[in-house]
Amino acid sequence: MPEVDVMPGNKAVAYGVKLSRVKGIALFPITPQTTIVEYLADFIANGELEAEYIHAEGEHTAMAVAIGLSLSGVRAFTATNSQGLAYMHECVAQAPAYRTPLLMAIANRTLGWFWSIQPDYSDVMPELNLGWMIQFVESNQECLDTVIQLYKIAEDRRVLLPAMLCLDGFYLSYSNERVEIPDQEDVDDFLPPYEPKHAVDPTVSDFAPGAGLPPPLHTTYRRIYEEILNDAKEVIKEVNEDFGKHFGRTYGNGLIEEYRCEDVDAILVTMGSMTTAARRAIDELQADGHRIGLVRVKTMRPFPSEEFRRLAEDVEAIGVVDRMVLHGTGGGGLGADMKSALYSMEDRPLIINFIAGMGGDDISTMDFRKMGERVLKAVERGRVEREVEYIEHPFKPAGRLVPLKEKRVIYPGSGGCTGCGASIILRHVLDVLGPSTVVVDPPNCAGVNYSSVVGVPWILANYAATAGYQTGLYRGYKLKGKADKIHVVSFAGDGGTVDIGLQALSGAAERGESIIWICYDNEAYMNTGIQRSGSTPLYARTTTTPAGRLWRGKRERPKNVPLIMAAHGIPYVATASIAFIPDLRRKVKRAAEITSAGKGLAYIHIQAPCPTGWYYPPEKTVEVARLAVLTGAWPLIEIEEGRVKLNIKPKKLRPIKEYLRLQGRFRHLTDEQIEEIQQWVNESWESWLKLEEMGKLPWYR
Amino acid sequence: MSGEKHPLGIKGLVGRGGLLSGGGGVGGMYVGDWRVFTPKIDYEKCTKCWLCVAYCPEAALSKGEEGPQLDPRFCKGCGVCANECPVKAIEMVRE
Ligand SMILES: Cc1ncc(C[n+]2csc(CCOP(=O)(O)OP(=O)(O)O)c2C)c(N)n1
Repeated sequence: MPEVDVMPGNKAVAYGVKLSRVKGIALFPITPQTTIVEYLADFIANGELEAEYIHAEGEHTAMAVAIGLSLSGVRAFTATNSQGLAYMHECVAQAPAYRTPLLMAIANRTLGWFWSIQPDYSDVMPELNLGWMIQFVESNQECLDTVIQLYKIAEDRRVLLPAMLCLDGFYLSYSNERVEIPDQEDVDDFLPPYEPKHAVDPTVSDFAPGAGLPPPLHTTYRRIYEEILNDAKEVIKEVNEDFGKHFGRTYGNGLIEEYRCEDVDAILVTMGSMTTAARRAIDELQADGHRIGLVRVKTMRPFPSEEFRRLAEDVEAIGVVDRMVLHGTGGGGLGADMKSALYSMEDRPLIINFIAGMGGDDISTMDFRKMGERVLKAVERGRVEREVEYIEHPFKPAGRLVPLKEKRVIYPGSGGCTGCGASIILRHVLDVLGPSTVVVDPPNCAGVNYSSVVGVPWILANYAATAGYQTGLYRGYKLKGKADKIHVVSFAGDGGTVDIGLQALSGAAERGESIIWICYDNEAYMNTGIQRSGSTPLYARTTTTPAGRLWRGKRERPKNVPLIMAAHGIPYVATASIAFIPDLRRKVKRAAEITSAGKGLAYIHIQAPCPTGWYYPPEKTVEVARLAVLTGAWPLIEIEEGRVKLNIKPKKLRPIKEYLRLQGRFRHLTDEQIEEIQQWVNESWESWLKLEEMGKLPWYR
Repeated sequence: MSGEKHPLGIKGLVGRGGLLSGGGGVGGMYVGDWRVFTPKIDYEKCTKCWLCVAYCPEAALSKGEEGPQLDPRFCKGCGVCANECPVKAIEMVRE
């Protein structure tokens, strides 16, 4: 008997992945997708799913890992959205060429230009036409079911293409609904193990997919892919029907889902979770005697043109509700597809394209009623007044700012967590640097919580590109003869420094850009909800390195990024702590002197204890930081022109246990694990002492 | 909408209070209602070492004549000041 539970859409996706017996999962966190991969981590940590789980250092890598897994011949999964999907784009384009039937879940979220974590389809819009199959779901049950269906469709020998499952961020991903969890045997019966047609496996054959193609073949291959995608429509319908036989549920015909479309003059066309409200509007309109139905697009790619041409035979007007704008065309993506699908019809219906719900703006039943009425009016008049209509709602700003008389570099109060260590760092850094400072900040807790109380320019950089933004600003100031007067400083988290931001940072260091890099290290991706980073300490528990039946926290030691930065031969590298404020302030000042003199990049790595993510009471923030230094877990180091100095050298390091026992993230540790951590701390401390003894790192001139 | 005054000043530009902000206005964020415990300062004991001011994550404490001055509008009640005070001159009390 299938089990019934109440769960958010992200958990339903994770269940789908688990029941599909996926063998490889590549991940990188982003709201509101992240809990999908967190649930999967829990399944694996507790022995409920056997799969490789790969913490990529960015989405570009995450997709590359998923493609690699699929090429090796195993069933692969990844998930992302928005900024992450955009960063992944190059590899997304590669997947269809390699015919890798992997699945990616997209918990839709708008794509910056202007940022928000709320949903619309501007994130998948640039991915629509790369050769992936793309389905949109309306409910959490459909999330689970569609994962299973999509693996079957994608792996069908007639298809062999990657697939995307789009669920609306928050509306589905974080909202609870009743979900039936099918029995594993039934899913096994429906979805056999993946038998790749071609795996890259030199022990079996020398096959490898080519990536290059001579010019004349490009047109031919594009045609072939179009034919495959067109044929996939039949497979989608078959699988949907077959699923119905096994589990008693289908979603329209797999391509579209019609609702009360008999004897109507007009239809509204929707996608995703908005359909539920639209359905209510249709009920109301029909109750009032109006002849209007509803069609939900489940499969966006391949686009169900034939279905709509069939429906269009019988209606006089179609209202297309779009959650994506094709800027510069004057309309939306679904609207454009609809028009091009129907253009060849001799007697085609009128079309009104509604743009609504951008950035998560709620589209209510009332809005749909109004849209329905507009479409019915078009039927009545035989013409449309405006081809594109925007459904806009008034904005009410929530004013929480207390005006203060004097101008400051940073104002009191903030949206950050109570007892935030990063806040202490930011306040001192800005106080030392002064008003002639430009902060460049990748997405992180600081950007979300502190940018609104900062009194100097604060530029949001794309996650992997912080040092690039800094370089451009710095070089611009240099051209204007102001490079020595303006501090271009990052305020990057550990994720934005040691993982996804490292490539651009390394480039800037090597080029000798005179910029300041502040890394505030809370030892995980905190803004997305405490996922492991390359800086998370050994055995710490995070949401992607949980402690369970099989897993006991993060298995790897953190990267030594200060030393990596010193390997570039940059003039200044330091670590600092909020428990040693004079030392911290002195280092920031030194960094500013060095960069103002145009000597190159100055890098300061500051530990930022996080009560929310490390699970300790907020009043202990500075105490935890102090113990990190006194136990040797966070050595205070300064490397100026290659000369290593340990700023605080306790006669005897305190046992690491004293530091660990304050924090919930280490609560699960066994004595052996504590011993191993102690060993790691000792080794790293010894290494720094040795480096200090060398006098000067040999690669510095 | 064009021609109308945008609620945030410049049409299409997110002002302070949004993610893409910084610079511009002058003011702090009201967070006084987050607080459960409030620091109570004993000015007799206070030695004016100013550690509490340096460590306050919200800059709710500033240097004053007789010791640290609390602006309750900006204090979330984290208790770092009380925890760090070397002479125990700050006590967290329930409001
Ligand atoms: C390319 C890209 N991928 C993912 C995200 C989602 N994201 C926003 S903040 C964040 C984590 C930030 O972690 P860190 O850099 O360590 O700073 P913290 O929030 O911990 O202070 C992530 C993954 C994003 N904005 N852009």
